Amino acid sequence: MSEKPARAIKLNVLNEPKDSYTGGPSSLCPGCGHDQISNVIITAAWENGIEPHRIAKMSGIGCSSKTPAYYLGQSHGFNTVHGRMPSVTTGAYAINKDLLYLGVSGDGDSASIGIGQLIHAIRRNMDMVYIIENNGVYGLTKGQYSATADVGSKKKKGPANETQPIDLCALAINLGCTFVARSFSGSKKQLTSLLKAAMSHKGFALIDVISPCVTFNNNDESMRSYSYVKENEVTLHMADYIPHFNPVEEIEVPEGHFKDITLHDGSTIRLETISEEHDPGDAMAALTALHGAESDGNHVTGLLYFDASKPSLAEDLGLVDEALLDVPDEVLRPNQASLDALNAEFLA
Amino acid sequence: MSAIINDFTINIATANGTGSQSANLILLQSLFEMGVPVSGKNLFPSNISGLPTWYIVRLSDKGYQAPGDRTHIQVLVNPATWDEDLAALEPGSVVIWNSDTKGKTVERDDIVSYPVPMSSLARKINPKIAKLVTNIVYVGVLAELLGIDQACLESAVAKQFKGKATAIELNITALGLGRGFCNEELTKADPYAVEKRAVTKPQFFIEGNEAAALGAHYGGVQLLAWYPITPSSSLAEGVINYIPRLRTDDDGKANMAVIQAEDELAAAGMVLGAGWAGGRGMTATSGPGISLMQEFIGLAYFAEIPSVFWDVTRVGPSTGLPTRTQQSDISMLYEGSHGDTQHIVLIPGTVEECFEYGWRAFDYAERFQTPVFGMSDLDLGMNRWACEGFTYPDQPMDRGKVVREQDVFDAFETFGRYLDVDGDGIPYRTLPGSGMAPILYRGTGHNPMGVYSEKPEDYFNLMQRLRMKIDRARDELPAPILREEEECEVGIVFLGSMENSIQEIDDLLEATGIMVSQCRVRALPLHSEVEEFVRRHKTVIVLEINRDGQLYGILRRELPNDLVTKVHSVAYSDGLPPRARIYADRILQTLEEVKQ
Repeated sequence: MSEKPARAIKLNVLNEPKDSYTGGPSSLCPGCGHDQISNVIITAAWENGIEPHRIAKMSGIGCSSKTPAYYLGQSHGFNTVHGRMPSVTTGAYAINKDLLYLGVSGDGDSASIGIGQLIHAIRRNMDMVYIIENNGVYGLTKGQYSATADVGSKKKKGPANETQPIDLCALAINLGCTFVARSFSGSKKQLTSLLKAAMSHKGFALIDVISPCVTFNNNDESMRSYSYVKENEVTLHMADYIPHFNPVEEIEVPEGHFKDITLHDGSTIRLETISEEHDPGDAMAALTALHGAESDGNHVTGLLYFDASKPSLAEDLGLVDEALLDVPDEVLRPNQASLDALNAEFLA
Repeated sequence: MSAIINDFTINIATANGTGSQSANLILLQSLFEMGVPVSGKNLFPSNISGLPTWYIVRLSDKGYQAPGDRTHIQVLVNPATWDEDLAALEPGSVVIWNSDTKGKTVERDDIVSYPVPMSSLARKINPKIAKLVTNIVYVGVLAELLGIDQACLESAVAKQFKGKATAIELNITALGLGRGFCNEELTKADPYAVEKRAVTKPQFFIEGNEAAALGAHYGGVQLLAWYPITPSSSLAEGVINYIPRLRTDDDGKANMAVIQAEDELAAAGMVLGAGWAGGRGMTATSGPGISLMQEFIGLAYFAEIPSVFWDVTRVGPSTGLPTRTQQSDISMLYEGSHGDTQHIVLIPGTVEECFEYGWRAFDYAERFQTPVFGMSDLDLGMNRWACEGFTYPDQPMDRGKVVREQDVFDAFETFGRYLDVDGDGIPYRTLPGSGMAPILYRGTGHNPMGVYSEKPEDYFNLMQRLRMKIDRARDELPAPILREEEECEVGIVFLGSMENSIQEIDDLLEATGIMVSQCRVRALPLHSEVEEFVRRHKTVIVLEINRDGQLYGILRRELPNDLVTKVHSVAYSDGLPPRARIYADRILQTLEEVKQ
């Protein structure tokens, strides 16, 4: 047998191998949708050429929130408290706005205990990527319904869910979230493109990813099982991400209609029409698609809504150009003369 | 009738939202400018307008700042509390009352009565704002009756309405009307008078919250995350108000961020995020907010995140009396959150200390990598106190064991986020974005490398190290203020704003022949000097403004067994600022019981 020539290790635009973006071994159940999302995070960060140490991995509590240990081992992270990842991220961001904040959360975190913090992070247009690994159940506490469980859906044990779900994408659109997408952990290509685009977005980028729970919610009667989602996914468009360091001209122009959206860092997301054209600038169209899917028992995926016009939190805070972390102590502390002047004025 | 000079209490009963606060502050400031030792207490309701408010002005050449046991001069403007306020007066008291108040009069022949048609006088100036002007009229009457210097009064008005010429003119006119009425229609029949005093050290009035806010700026605060709550809002707003002056560059860009959070939970989370990222974050809240922040406080302790929390305490439990003062969060701050915890608590007793701990809190938080609390209270935070000026920090900012440079990092043989390299319980940390020794911070069990661990030895060792770390902090924190004479058998341990009543309490005890030493605790965990103080005294009373004797409980638990029996509790709270007589009586009663 002839020896194969040694293949060069594939490097990204920073000359980093993909290994620079991996993490520790997962302790989740084999086949968990969350592990697929972790892999997409690794791929997206690597292909986007983001310096791994310039990412901050943020999470709350739950199966999803354990995953930051499984990707981006060169990044600092913070596995905070249940549902409160947005506030911790907001505080960190105020100090160091130059990092890419990558938040991972679950439906327990985001639709229940932490829904208030999610809402307010959206309201502030906090500059972060917020991934919801949404499986409709609480995993770590062994399979209770979450607030996103679909009506009529039945998990492995117990009766079907009869309580109205909270659609976090619809909520986000109503709140004026500037980047709202839904995807499926089984749709690796679409999810990768959407995540890369979210990383290039300045403002709050929410991606609600249906991520089946293989242990508690992957049975036939569940509306969040692999088989159900595969059969009932309605894809709004094909999504391709074209990074800013890779000129558009080099990309093969697809047949049919497509729409290019330029992102804040100069990258592009190209949305190729499948059947009907979806305009991500139209909030009503996005909500209509979501409501339609809900009544039909479908899951609609793609870039639902996008708005590049709103200022992000950094602009609202009116801060100096450099990250506050980099402001020297002598500048942070006002000088002696300023206190002398205050004392003198008070005494006057 | 011999004159009583600079030693009496004025109580002004109004309704809130009527502008009485500015009138009362003018009165207070004018006395202050005369050099009269004076203090003001605002007893206000939890409401925007229309509910009863009392403002208590205590003049005391001895420098007493507690409200005093009784009212000498009562101003009656509010019909709602009229009868009750009137009935409470001791014989010989003075009443200045608005004789335009429908259905209300003053019929007591054992008091000195001065009816003043305050509303009609006010209407003369401007009927549209008569209600507001009414208040300044009584200040004019008081000024004339007591002999308040006109120049001091005008200066106080100018300070109250900085640069607002119309308001200044209007108020001075109204003061004149009050004075004029008094001159023409009233005959002085009371002994009370004020006299100028030479000012040895120039002072100004400032609220504790403003002082703490300024202190935070001189601590280089980088993030204020807060949620409005009485009585701490003015601390947060104080920080905000000084940003343009102290923290903004020529382009109008600030080097600190302010985020009004959606709730106290989020405010705490933001403070932790800031600390985690390497910045100086703080919040200001009160007891109910601290209750909500418990979960994050535990995370900050366990994951070792520098963070600063100011608790301007009010009366609990629950919503309690939101606009009244109490020292009832001591235990909650010291042992905040579930599990075994212990926290550093800085306890200012003066506005100077509010300023000082305002900046020091950040140094302690970063040095010990832990949450640090500033514990003020409504009385200290929201009332005005005399201050000689603030002292600039005497040392550079202490950023603690943060490894920022690669060569420093490379010099570590092994780097572990929670590795106790120096044996002082304080590990080294690197910051997000640095690429140096990245870890996933967590509230779950972890080993010295910062990796998840449920191993018994990892958990046990971590908890021991955390205890040692905080325990070692005690003698680096502000030492207690000791006022001690060798022959004293009785020692009083107290804290915080009780500072402002202690002199009067001490004098009341001395009048009964009991000399006491004083030890004002200024931080938790307790400085070792507190134990020595207890050891030197035969009987020790722990004096505090709450029901349960929370500081007493801490002493009982932490003192060696042989000292515990000599420590006794005097804890009392009814929502009002501490009146010296109440505490002195209870101390005497306790000493009597100890003797038996």
